[in-house]
Amino acid sequence: MRTKTLISCIGLILALSGGLFAIQPACAAPSLVVAVESAPKSMNPHSENGDATLGPMTNIFDGLMQRQKTDGKIVPALAEKYEHPDPLTWKFYLRKGVKFHNGNPFTAADVKYTFERLTNPEVSQFVNDGKAIASIETPDDHTVIVKTKDPIPWFIDNMHQVFIMDKESSESRSEGEIGVAPIGTGAYKLTEYVKGSHMKLEANPNYWEGAPSIKNVEMKFIIEPSTRFAALASGQTELINGVPVEMIDKVKENKNLDVMRRPARRAIFLVVTNRPGTPTADPRVRKAMYMAINEDEIIQKLMRGQATAASQMVDPATVGYNPDIKRLAYNLQEAKKLLKEAGLEKGFEITLAGPNDRYVMDKQICEAVAKYLAKVGIKVNLDVKPKSIYFTEVMENKHDFYMMGWFDGTYSGARTFFRHLHTIDKNAGYGDWNGSRSSDKDIDQVLEKTSQIVDKTQYVKTLQEANKMAMERVRVIPLHYQMDLYAVAKKNGLQFTPRPDQWFVFKDMSKK
Amino acid sequence: MFTYLTRRLIQGVIVLLAVSFVCFIIFRYMGDPVISMAGQYATAAERDEIRKIFGLDQPPYVQYWRFLTNALHGNFGISYETRLPALGLILERIPASAELAVSAMVFAFTVGVGLGVLVSVNPQAWLSRAIMAGSLGGISIPTFLIGILLIMVFAVQLGILPPFGRGETVKLGDWWSTNFLSLDGLEHLVLPAFTLGMYQLAVLLRLTRSGMREVLTTEYIKTAWAKGLSPARVVFKHALRNVMIPVITVAGLQFGDLIAFSLVTETIFQWPGLGNLLLTSLYESDQPVIVTYISLVAVFILTINIVVDSLYALLNPKIRYG
Amino acid sequence: MSRRKNRFLYDFLRDPAAIAGAVIMLVFTAAAVLAPLLAPQDPYDLEILELGDSLKPPAWEADGDPQFLLGTDDQGRDILSTILYGLRTSLSVGFSVMLLAGSFGVLVGLLAGYYGGVLDAVTMRTADTVFAFSTTLLAILFLGLFKQSGVGIVILAICIADWVRYARTMRASVLEVKEEAYITAAKATGANDVHLLLVHLLPNALPPIFVIMAVDLAAIIMLEATLSFLGVGVPITKPSLGMMIASGKNYIYAGCWWLIVFPGATLVLFVLGLNLFADWLREELNPRIQRSR
Repeated sequence: MRTKTLISCIGLILALSGGLFAIQPACAAPSLVVAVESAPKSMNPHSENGDATLGPMTNIFDGLMQRQKTDGKIVPALAEKYEHPDPLTWKFYLRKGVKFHNGNPFTAADVKYTFERLTNPEVSQFVNDGKAIASIETPDDHTVIVKTKDPIPWFIDNMHQVFIMDKESSESRSEGEIGVAPIGTGAYKLTEYVKGSHMKLEANPNYWEGAPSIKNVEMKFIIEPSTRFAALASGQTELINGVPVEMIDKVKENKNLDVMRRPARRAIFLVVTNRPGTPTADPRVRKAMYMAINEDEIIQKLMRGQATAASQMVDPATVGYNPDIKRLAYNLQEAKKLLKEAGLEKGFEITLAGPNDRYVMDKQICEAVAKYLAKVGIKVNLDVKPKSIYFTEVMENKHDFYMMGWFDGTYSGARTFFRHLHTIDKNAGYGDWNGSRSSDKDIDQVLEKTSQIVDKTQYVKTLQEANKMAMERVRVIPLHYQMDLYAVAKKNGLQFTPRPDQWFVFKDMSKK
Repeated sequence: MFTYLTRRLIQGVIVLLAVSFVCFIIFRYMGDPVISMAGQYATAAERDEIRKIFGLDQPPYVQYWRFLTNALHGNFGISYETRLPALGLILERIPASAELAVSAMVFAFTVGVGLGVLVSVNPQAWLSRAIMAGSLGGISIPTFLIGILLIMVFAVQLGILPPFGRGETVKLGDWWSTNFLSLDGLEHLVLPAFTLGMYQLAVLLRLTRSGMREVLTTEYIKTAWAKGLSPARVVFKHALRNVMIPVITVAGLQFGDLIAFSLVTETIFQWPGLGNLLLTSLYESDQPVIVTYISLVAVFILTINIVVDSLYALLNPKIRYG
Repeated sequence: MSRRKNRFLYDFLRDPAAIAGAVIMLVFTAAAVLAPLLAPQDPYDLEILELGDSLKPPAWEADGDPQFLLGTDDQGRDILSTILYGLRTSLSVGFSVMLLAGSFGVLVGLLAGYYGGVLDAVTMRTADTVFAFSTTLLAILFLGLFKQSGVGIVILAICIADWVRYARTMRASVLEVKEEAYITAAKATGANDVHLLLVHLLPNALPPIFVIMAVDLAAIIMLEATLSFLGVGVPITKPSLGMMIASGKNYIYAGCWWLIVFPGATLVLFVLGLNLFADWLREELNPRIQRSR
């Protein structure tokens, strides 16, 4: 009896202290371990038109073009050069001697196959881009001529993220296999992939740009911010993205770590309806709400300084950004005065909807906004929920006042304005994201005018005009641009520069 | 016995049908999966096309019927998020969950039953009282709090145990990967297994103790004492054996709890197991994965239940099932 | 009857653990009920919250503010006040479920035990199945699928499975009581069913239910905290101990221990109090085991 208890006690103690005596396992240490904030949906490079999947995939696959690491300029990759003889035609001259990881040569047939595959919504989120193509000709093995249905000035700007797949092996394997065992032309081959947990990469010695300098890479997917930080602090990873802002002071205190920041393109804003019959139909009320929100305090206290105030819904890099638009200053008196003028000095009740798992501090920002608006007598009910249900509700027009974060991967402000600001018009495909069913014929008119303009300067000016009108009429309340935050362990001498697209491109990294 | 089993099986099938049907009804209230499937750049027309391809434009009873017929052929559909077969996604998570659950149960069982016996043999000793007080604490701390406190102490303060993931695993055969064969893997197992086992440990300890206390006062044990058998023989051979039947039955019947608490534990420790997959899928409205998970869990729980009940009936001749 | 009562009181006063449990229960319940009077601040009155007060450590720490005894959270909410209001949520969920699930379960158990037959078979098989799936698992699945948050929905989700405990216990108790002489006597005198059920069976079969109630309340409170921790429980506009711990988890590495330790300790102490009391009650009402001296 006693012995048995004793044995279980010893067992317990051993189990507990196992960690104490443990030494780091002497496994073949990968030369670089990084932890990222989101996991790829699958190893099918077209399964998601988002950075969570495209970022890892860029290491295994190549596009016809690629983006330079510092400025994000688009430069040749699998295409040595391209021509754009007329608005509808794009002619690509393909690089010769490139091989896929399985040894198959890269040819025009692979490009054609990839572009056709894009149109299948079962395997691709690039349906939009695929369907814009009218025809694909391959006069020889190393030339591809693409004709689009309509002129698409940004067609080439997308070519860095349309990854070229091997026709032969893709046609002979099931989607299930393609989704776990990718075959690309990229600088790295996949050696191990555990969905939602990690992936391991090995340098491709035959890479057309030359073998990358870091031989082995492990990418861990750690969604929980504090855990990701712990992985870095404990030395289990050397580089992380998405450093939680609440941890930023801690990281700065830690002498072994370096923080790297880069302004992100995503703007966070609040959409507020102007539909007649709602209290916010009066522009003065929307303006009052704008002025009652202390954005500086949100940036200081909630974002820990890791954000910059926004005055509009697009970032400076976007076509249509208007530098003349200035933020309205925080001013409670003025806000109260405006409400009084609108006959609402007693306030009103409104529901603010937002996600709680999408943007940095999203839930906390909604709570803070409710707090600020309470001070001018507006009673805000919060309706905060997971993104999967939240965005559905926005698209089903269930909310009149909601939080949104946006940027367009193609740098086109027109796309953003047509989706969010234009009156809903299902036939023309306008107002897809106009969840608040707002409508402003003046803005619609200016936006529609841009489609007719050929002159580039005039086009930009008109877009800026539409932008300015929208902001003067407070169609949305802009809050801030997020900041991309990275932390690096200093000791290993990792050379890393944050990219505008937030991707980790391992061939561009090295160790001292 | 045979008719009893048939009846239980029929009941099980009815339960399964009911469970999966309720899921389908509730899906109407879930987020629209098409929005995340199509991506932020898709137009309304493209979303409609996806809806059609995946049959989501059909009324729920049609979708339900299609699910049932496909499931009978072993096809549980394609995950909306990853576009991979839902069943595969679930199967590949089984090793992680199974190893965590088994470690936790082994820990809970040995320590729980061991301490339970110790406490009942000598109930007045200060150690017994301390253990009983501890066990009361054990059932009063919710699993998620145990996990967080362990992380705070062992990972943040002391920095000696890893707070997340499975660490290095060793491949056994084609699809099983184990934590047991590497030091790093074992290290990663300690905190989650302790967290998950703690509650079960306290429950088992208390069950053993109350069972032992009842058995130790029976005539049968008193006779054994009187016969002058050694204490160890009386306690282990005669008393404990009788206690183990209800203890194992209860443990078996509480499998649902084990699954629920491993869900919580896996979330806290980012353990790449089934529970983690389910919660992510719930957030993403990935219906095929959710329905597959629930169906498999239901089958599993019902099977365990039938097995435990039948064993109980076999071991205990007093109970007869007509 | 009165001798039994005296014995109860006598036993109770001799058991320090039971007294401790009862005191904790009473104090915490009173604190929850009186929260609006006791709390230094109404943590959900948006007008008075200041972001400038966020993440202050407890008052006795170097950067502490005497205004916030146990510190503040990331929204500048007073932790002490939020805990008091959070207890209110815990208790209102706990008592609502106990009453709703309890009365439904008792009714089902009473009828199933008394009438037997098909009714008994159907309800008890249902109960077995629900029990096998576990209250926790069913509540997580239900709320996770339903995705609408609200205190009412949380109560409903827990009730779906929780009535089973009461139904099973009640049925077993009724089966025992049913055979006793005074029931058979009452039956023989031609008392009608309703009278028999309500006047004779119900009160006599009820004692085991009291033990279940105390244990159940503890379990429900833990479950509500777990659900809110997982993000499928009460909405963020309602104070909840589980949610406090969940948001404190983000600050674990930033050294803000007070966000987790205080709400955690409150939760554990309260549940411990309930369990201590339940333990004593169980032994007191269990005739088979002599109380240990």
